[in-house]
Formats: sequence, structure tokens, C-alpha cells
Amino acid sequence: MAQNSRKAEPRNSFLVFLILLLVLFFIGWQIGEIDLYALVTQFDDAIPALSKVLWPWERAITYPEEKWQGTALLENPCQDPPPPLNTPAEEGPYLIVDPACGEPTIQEENEAGESIVIPGTELHVQGYGFLPGEVVQLWWRDPAGSQFRQRQDGDIITVIPDENGEFEIDIIWPYSIIPPSYREGVSEWELQGRQVTSVGAWEFSDELTMTIEKMIETIFIGMMATFFGIILALPVSFLAARNLMSGNVFTMGIYYLVRGVLNIIRSIEPLIWAILAIIIVGLGPWAGILALTVHSIAALGKLYSEAIESIDSGPIEAIQATGANWFQIVMYAVVPQVIPPFVSFTIYRWDINIRMSTVIGLVGGGGIGFLLTQWVRNLDYRAAGIAVWFIAITVAILDYVSAEIRERFV
Amino acid sequence: MLEIRHLTKIYEDGTLAVDDVSFTVPDGEFLVVIGLSGSGKSTLLRCINRLIDPTEGEIIWNGVDLAKLEGDDLRKARRKIGIVFQNFNLVERSTVLTNILTGRLGYNKTWPTMIHRFTKEDYDMAERVLKRMDIEDQAHKAARELSGGQQQRVGIARALMQDPELMLADEPVASLDPVLAHSILQHLEKLNKEDGLTIMCSLHYLDLVQRYSTSVIGLRQGKLVYQGTKKDIINVTDEEFKQIYGEEAERIGGGLEGNLQQKGVEA
Repeated sequence: MAQNSRKAEPRNSFLVFLILLLVLFFIGWQIGEIDLYALVTQFDDAIPALSKVLWPWERAITYPEEKWQGTALLENPCQDPPPPLNTPAEEGPYLIVDPACGEPTIQEENEAGESIVIPGTELHVQGYGFLPGEVVQLWWRDPAGSQFRQRQDGDIITVIPDENGEFEIDIIWPYSIIPPSYREGVSEWELQGRQVTSVGAWEFSDELTMTIEKMIETIFIGMMATFFGIILALPVSFLAARNLMSGNVFTMGIYYLVRGVLNIIRSIEPLIWAILAIIIVGLGPWAGILALTVHSIAALGKLYSEAIESIDSGPIEAIQATGANWFQIVMYAVVPQVIPPFVSFTIYRWDINIRMSTVIGLVGGGGIGFLLTQWVRNLDYRAAGIAVWFIAITVAILDYVSAEIRERFV
Repeated sequence: MLEIRHLTKIYEDGTLAVDDVSFTVPDGEFLVVIGLSGSGKSTLLRCINRLIDPTEGEIIWNGVDLAKLEGDDLRKARRKIGIVFQNFNLVERSTVLTNILTGRLGYNKTWPTMIHRFTKEDYDMAERVLKRMDIEDQAHKAARELSGGQQQRVGIARALMQDPELMLADEPVASLDPVLAHSILQHLEKLNKEDGLTIMCSLHYLDLVQRYSTSVIGLRQGKLVYQGTKKDIINVTDEEFKQIYGEEAERIGGGLEGNLQQKGVEA
């Protein structure tokens, strides 16, 4: 009987453990607002944006553009005498609109609550001096300064000039929401004929060059942080190694102090350090370097000191016996033994720092993350896609390089 | 002359490793310490150069109590006491030359040694010592590339670089085969006979003890249970032998061919 109950005990505690695990799982499901249905049903909506991120290369190149624009001014309402028609410009394209004054389209609600549209003045537009055969877009600038394109039956309209660079088209003066203050007296509207043509060969887009610039900045943020991290972690790690500091109460005190500080620093994420650094030195790569350096000191300090603690104590004993002092013991018994693990940990940290430096920009610490957040917020998914691709490519290359280095040196 | 008075070592966990041991070692002696593993031989040797701090007792060497020394005085005293270890305790990645030069660290200022600067005299001395130990060809090899016997000769060379007046040897041949064991002990014997270096060495094998020692002490559970001359140890009786090694120990053979075999007391 006693045997049975003893056997049952672990099974019971296992059951309790299982139930506890299940309860935690369901609480987590609730708190995490996990919604598999949304993941599946909303995925289709995300596909356009995601495909831009996955294949953003249309934005990587551009063709240099030349803008070609002719304008004409119109007045509302008509006065007596009406304004003169536009005269031909001396240089470049121009528009002549007849009449040069009139009324825009008005949308109103009648008493029954139905919206009614009162069409505006019909305008006869003539264009001269445009580039032959290239599309002309018709744009309006209303008195409030907002710009929009001419539409007919809901569709944007364009015209193509003939071989002399001339065109003719009839349009209806469109509707625009204008604040009442702009409606007093005579207001001025502008009709623009715009041509945009690409000239010359393709070139890298601004997004691509900015991405490359920031990617280089990112790599250097990671590199400098690793560099400063090593320099500062080295002396710290010796103070955080139990086997070197166990000499007396005073050195043990230093050991516990250094260990404690390292643990606290390490438990705070680099992103939070970046926010703190930004408060001190402002936005930019320097803040990122500071944040990653602080975290690297703590992380490397711990790894280094553990490497020191795991060395063979024989040589330490032997060199201590020759009458060497603490510094000499460290230099001749400890340093040669810890070089391989130190090199290995350092390369590993370099790897992490470069990866971290890509996200440190999310909070303003410089590097590519800064661009990435900007573009994502502007819903510019193609540009964001370029940044994502470059991060992936860079991290993959550095992964390979660090693995190679580790193999050679260690 | 080295004089040990009432030396006691109790470790932090309460283990009594050396229990009120007193003896003297006249200059020029080749003193061998015998006893089972765990009998306190290593602790005793390490107390002398203070790698282990004794709990009680005095270690009078040339009129100075080593047990009371601290800091610089202790380091200065350590310079004159060489030590050789069972596992050689070399820095395996460093070259043989660097390993040997570490014997001079106590004589050099800190900062030059931090950038690996030793004096010309140190290098000359290293050359002589390497030649004496027959390892001058190995000087620029990493220590780990050497065989066990060669490594122990590097260990002795490092101790010799300290220009010692006393040489401690903690089971110097326990990790070597019998042929190499003789070779290493012959080196130590030569130092003892030619240079008059006082040697204090712990050994396991009775035939080696009988062959090389000029006097012997025996430890059992931290206590001094045997003291004798070379003549005494050659004629050691079963009674005395059992006193040192306990009832379980069995003696096979004797004299120069004698070997100690321990039944059931592996540890």
C-alpha cells in the first residue's frame, strides 16, 4: 500500500502541473488577443502591401524626369468687364481658356436631403508649346491652394498634344470644397497642363541610395559599439571573475559589486538604453553606439568573466609560486588561456550588435531602422521593402563572415 | 634550513589535511614525503610556499617565518622557492620559452613584463636552463605540443629560472611512465648533488623513494607517522610500511624493484 501511494504521488503532481499549464495557456490566449480567424481572413487584405515589401525593386531605380507645365488663370465669379484671355507665353508651354471667368460646379443638398449637382461653366481649353506626343495631365489649383486633377464622369482625363505640341479640349469647371473665407469677392483658380517625361538612362532611386548609406551607418554603429564594448569589458571581466577575486574580503566585495552592476545593465534591453542615450546626446548614430556599447560591456563582461572562471587553475598556481604579482599572473596564466573563448565571444557579440543596430533606429538611435520606421509609417511599403531586403542581405553576409572568422581563429 | 613547527591546515569545509606536523630539512637534503593520496602531502608542500595558507604553525626558513609573510615580502620569499607539479601546470598555448621566462616574473618590474619585456640576463639564463634540461630545440614550440616528459622538464626549467634555494616537487613523476620518471628524478638528483639545491619531493613508488631520497617522512591522515634516513627506508619493515600506508596496503617485492600496490584504496 505504502508503495502504491508513493507511486501515485508523482503522477498526481504531474496532473496538477498539466492542469496549471493548460490554465496558463488559456489565460495567455485571452490576454494575447490571439485571433487565428483574423490571421486567415485578413491576410488577403495585406497581400498588396506584403508583396510590395517582398518585391520592392521597382523603387530601386528611377529615370530622371523633366517637368513641363503651362498655366492659365480663371476668375470666379465673372465681372464686368470679364478678364482678358491668357496671352501666349514667351517661353515654354501655355494654356488659353475661354471664357477666363465663370462658376465652378456646385454640390448641394436640397430640402428633401438629396444631393444635387449644378454643373459649372463649360471651358474651352487650348494648349500650345507642349511636347508632342507626351501625355498632358490637367490639374487645378483652387483658391485655397489645394491641387487636384480634372475628371470627367469620374475618370481622370489626359490629353495628348499633336505634332505641333498643341491640343484642344472642352471641360467642365469642377467642384472643390473651399472654406467660406475664400469665397468672398473675386477668387482666382488656376488650370495647369503638366507633362512629365523621363529623360536619359535609369539611375538608382533616392530610396536605394539612402538605404545603402544608412546600412553602412548601421554596420559602423555595430562595429564601434563592439569595439568600445571589448575595450571596456576586458578590464571589467577580470574584476568579475571569482577565481581571480577570491583573494580577500575587499576583492570579493568588488567582485559582487561588479557582478551586480553587470547583471542590472544586462537585464535592460538595448532599445531602452537607446532611449536613455537619446535623452543625453540626442537622436542619431551616437546614441545607438552608446546604447549598444553599454549592453555589450555587460554581456561581454559576463561571458568573458565566465571564460576566465573556467580556465585551468594549474598555471595560475604555478605562476603565483614564482613570486609574480596579480597583474603578472593575469597576463601570463590567465590571458593565454582565455584568448580562444574571448575571440569566439567577441565575434558572436559583433554579430548581435549589427543585428541590434538595425532595430536601434526604431527609437531614433540612427541607422537603417530609422528609415524603416519612417517608411512604414508613411505606408511606403516598397521603400520599406528595400530596407528590409538590405537588412536581411547584410545580416546573412555578416553571419557567414563571422562563422568563417570563428573557424579560422578558434 | 627549513623548519616546520606544529603545522596544521584545516580547510574551510572542516577537512583536517595536515595535523600538527613538525620536522626539519637541513640544506642540501633530498627529502621525500610519502603517504597515500589524500594523506596531506600536497597540502604540506603548498603550505611551504603559501599557495595554501596554513591554519596554524610556523614555517621557519633561513630565520624567517614564511607563515606570517604577506604581500611583497611573501612574493620575495616565493622567488627563492621553486615548485614542480604533477600535472606540470604549464600554460599550454604559450611557448616553452615564455613558460620558462615566467620563472623570472618575480625579479622583474610589472610594466615591462606586461608587454613581454624581459632582460637580456633573463634570456641568457633561459638559454642555459633549456640546455641543461635538454629541451633547447623545443624553445619556440607551444608547451602543449611537447610530450609529458618534456613538459615536466619545462616545469623544472621554470622553477630553476627562479634561482631557487629550495625546490618543492608535488608528485613530479606520477603522470609519467617509469622510464621518464627516472629521467626526471635524475634531473632533480643532479640539481641536488651538483648545485646543493634542497629538494622536498612527494613520491608514490617505494623503489623511487629508496633510489633517490636522502631522507624520508611519511604522512598518514595528515599526521607525521614516519621519519627516516635513506638507510632506514631501504630496510623498511612491514610494520613501518603498514604504519604509513594502513592495513589495506600490501607490499609486493621490495628493495629497488619494490612497488606499492594498494588494494581497495584507490582514492
